[in-house]
Formats: sequence, C-alpha cells, structure tokens
Amino acid sequence: MAGRNKYRANNKTVTGIKRKDAVGWLIMLPTIILFAFFVWEPLLESIRLSLYTAKGIRLERFVGFENYIRVLKHPDFLAAFSNTFTYIFWSLAIGFFIPMILAVLITETTHFKSFFRVGIYFPNIMPGLATVLMWGFFFRPGSTGVLNIILGKIGIEPQVWLTNAKWTIPLIVIIMTWKGAGSTALIYMAGISNINPELYEAATIDGAGILSRIRYIILPGIFSLAKTLLILQIISVFQIIYEPLVMTNGGPNNASISIMHLVYNYAFRDFNYPMAAALSVMMGIVLIILSGLYFKITASKEA
Amino acid sequence: MFFDNYRKKEDGAVRFYDLHSKRTKILLIIIYLICLAVIIVSLFPPIWVFLASFKDIKEFRRSATILPSQFDFSVYAKTWNDLKFAKFYINSFISVAGSVLSAVIFNGLLAYVLGVIKPKGHKVIYGLVMWSLLIPSTTSVVALFININRIGINQSFLPLWLSFGANAFYVVLFKQFFERLPKELVEAAKLDGCGYLKTFTNIILPLSKSIVMVVVIFAVNAAWSDFLLPYLVLNGSGKETVMVRLFMFRTSNATDVEVLRAVAFSIIPPVILFTIFQKQITEGASAGALKG
Repeated sequence: MAGRNKYRANNKTVTGIKRKDAVGWLIMLPTIILFAFFVWEPLLESIRLSLYTAKGIRLERFVGFENYIRVLKHPDFLAAFSNTFTYIFWSLAIGFFIPMILAVLITETTHFKSFFRVGIYFPNIMPGLATVLMWGFFFRPGSTGVLNIILGKIGIEPQVWLTNAKWTIPLIVIIMTWKGAGSTALIYMAGISNINPELYEAATIDGAGILSRIRYIILPGIFSLAKTLLILQIISVFQIIYEPLVMTNGGPNNASISIMHLVYNYAFRDFNYPMAAALSVMMGIVLIILSGLYFKITASKEA
Repeated sequence: MFFDNYRKKEDGAVRFYDLHSKRTKILLIIIYLICLAVIIVSLFPPIWVFLASFKDIKEFRRSATILPSQFDFSVYAKTWNDLKFAKFYINSFISVAGSVLSAVIFNGLLAYVLGVIKPKGHKVIYGLVMWSLLIPSTTSVVALFININRIGINQSFLPLWLSFGANAFYVVLFKQFFERLPKELVEAAKLDGCGYLKTFTNIILPLSKSIVMVVVIFAVNAAWSDFLLPYLVLNGSGKETVMVRLFMFRTSNATDVEVLRAVAFSIIPPVILFTIFQKQITEGASAGALKG
C-alpha cells in the first residue's frame, strides 16, 4: 500500500517538487502564519524589545542589557521572585496531592461516580476572572465575608484573610486548587483505570490489604503521570496573574505580587514595554528549561 | 444492597471480595462522605453567587445569612439593564463564534497536513508546534500587543479570532484523532480523484465529528473566559466582552450586589454549556491531557 502511494506521488512531479509536498505546505501555510504571528514572532520580538528603550510602542535606542539590569535591581523583582517560590511551595504542598487523593477516593466509589466526576470538574469551567471575583466575597474580612459568616455559626471570630500578608499566597493557592484540582483528578483517574485489575487480585493472594494495594500498585502506576503533571503545575504557577492582579493587586505590600503581575504593571500601568519585555524574556527562559525537562520525562516514559 | 454493584467494579484497590469484612464497608462509607464533602466545596461557591445576588444591597450588607429573604427576578433584570449587559453578551458571542470557527479550521487543517498528508519537512513544524504547547502565551503578550498595534488591527475582534487559529493543544488533539482514522479511506478518496482539501472537508471532517465537538466546546469556554488579550485589544472600542466588563469592576464604584450579579451573568453560559456537554467535557479533559 505504502509503495503504491509513493509511486502515485512520484508520478505527479511538477518542476521537481512532489505535488504532495507542495499542496501539503500550501494547506498548512495559513496556520503557520498564524502561529508565527501569535506565538513564535512575539517571542523573538520580546527579545528585541528588551534590548532597546522605547517611547510607547516605538523603539528608540539600543541599550544592550540595561533593561534587564534595571528590572533585576528593582525591589519589586526580588519580591516577585521570592513570591514565585512561595507560590510553588504552597501549590505543591496543597495542590499537588489533593487531585491524587481525590482520584483514588472517587475510583473506589460505584454509586454517584459520574456525579462526583462532573462535580469536581465543575469549577474548572468557571471563567478565571469570575472565580477570582467570587472568592473575593468569600475571603472578605469583617462580618459580611461568606467564610466569616460560616465561621461565625460555629463561634469563630471573623478573620482578615487576604489582608494578612502571611496568608495571602496560601489562600490564593487554595483558590487555584479549588479551580484546577478536578481536571487533574480526572487525569489521574484515567491513569488508575489503565492499571490491570489482575494486579490487585495477585496482590490479595499475596496477602496485601487495601491500603498496601494503593501503596504498591496504584501509586507506582500513576508515578510517571504525577511527574509530568508536577512539571505542568510548576509551569502554570509561574504564570499566575489573575488572582494577585484582581484580588490583592499584589499586596499587601507586595506580599502576593507574581512575576506575570509585575510584567503587567510594567507594560500596562507604567507603559514601560522594554522592561516588561526584559522580564518576560527571563521568565521565558526559565519556562523553556522547565518544558525541556517535561519533554525529557515524557519521552523517557514512552521509551 | 448498597454494595452489590461492587461486583461489577473494574478499577481501584477495593475488590468485591473485600466486602466480606465490615471494616471495608465502613471505609467505603467514609470515602463516600469525603467525596460528598468535596462536591459541596466544589459546588457551594457558585451556588452562593446565585443565591446572594437576589439580595438587595441593604440586605447584603446587614444580614449574615446565606439564603436571600426573597427571590425576585426583577432585580436581575434591573442590573442587566443598568450595566447594559446585553451589549457585552453580544460582543462576547461575536468573539466566541469567530474564535471557534478559526480554532476548528486553522488547527484542523494544520493537523490534517501533519497527521495525514505528511509532506517533506512536516516534522519541523510539528516540533515547533509542540514547543509552543509549553511556551505559554502570557510570556509574549506584551510583544504580541505591540505587534497588533503596529499592523493596526487593534480595537477589533480580528486578532482575538485569529489567535484561536494558532493553538498547539487543539492541533495535537486533532492530529491524534486524524492519525487513527483508517488510511484506506484517504487512499480511496485519492484514487477517486479527490483533491487534498476536498478529502479534508468531505472525508476527514465528517468522520471526526466527536473530536471537532471536543475542540468546539473547549474553544467556546476558552474564548468566553479569555480576558487579558481581549482587554488589551478591545478596551475603549465599544466592543468589550463580558470578561473585559468584569475586569473593569476592579476600578469601578459598582455596588457589591451589582458585581455579584455580573459574576452570575458571566457564569451562566459556561454552566449551560457544561450541563449539556458534561460527558464530552470530562472525557475530553482526561484523554487530551494524557496523550498531549
């Protein structure tokens, strides 16, 4: 079959180029142009932009790495940089294990299973901005905050929530987890159902109880999936912007400002595009390294 | 009996023969209770938004109850009119419709070429697309915004529509599906003198309804929820979408209940979409991410 196909393709040679190749490239050309304009070229443009001074969107003078130095020396950068690690720490502490636990638990149910699946996925379809505004009402300090109302019913004093600098990032991570855990749990559930059920039976004959079956069969079964999702999670935490931008405006006192939020401030509050670009490029490099790592892990999984 | 259908259970650590022991039964009941609690945590916040947005501003400020004192739909209509939400809804619909069309056509065509035609050098493009899957658009949004301004297509829906035509995730979804289609059909179409484009529209697309559906649903939701680029491109143009309007509350002096009702308006379309297509959405979510 393949041979005949080749023969036909060769048959239709036009000026030395196979028709298949010419038409193929022609069909994908529009999409390639879109990718170039929306994805690839802006990456290069960011690098160029970061090396110049600019007035509005017009480039003025080549200044080398001056923008990078200005970004790095600014106290906001240190805050955003260290906050990023705090975000990652909390999102691993809270957000990494919850989906796994949810997946294991829901797998063990038979009644209402699809209701549980749909229910935990639901927050994921909420628009990010609506989610953030909604949780703003929950975390409102004082007696009208929804969580304070609920706490009041069991006799706990109203809390200040996001305005306490120590709590800001963990609470933001809780919101992210509320929104994202369900979709991650569904991926783990798919992973768990790929495990051959005979393994459980074999383990039972060897005397393994339910907990040790989870420990020695399910956890190793989803281990490589977990590695992949871990990196994807870190990549997405790096880009957090909605929550600090809308809920806390980076505060209190820069306690929750993220790198993307800082990029936003440089570009669309100060209209300093070169500094925004310099910070984007640095973040892009980190993300490229992380995604390289991701590819390495997923490639070794398939091998 | 409650536990009878565990006989048919296929995956998971608890097997039917475990249910002879009382401890397993208790364990399972605890698991059900935890799942129920999780579902309440997942669903309560949006339900609260709808309940609380029936309160008027005085009731909202003073009373510390969850349920409103009355369900009066006219307050909804009033806020809808006061905030001129019809306009934002229409703008969002225009934005979503164009984005979905562009998502299916452009990404579908690219995936068709990469997965089925495979011309010389297609691996280079596929490699670049795979990289873009992980290089998030947020890092280059500043440069993209400047480019859009330079060629003068800002203040219009065009850049928003076209940006959905360059989505690596959709390309991967389409490509995986197209590769699994029987090769014989493509060959047969070729023998019948069907051109490459015609093969796509007449053979591939009709066979791929399920994946097109998944991409359409994802794109509808993504386009509806998208905010940063729409805000940068459309702000001040009179074409603001619902999300752009929501973002403006950040600096406006609207009352709490107005914000709450606007949030409710912005959730309604995704909720309807999800209610209708929950099966496709949850299945697409687990399958797409696993292989992608």
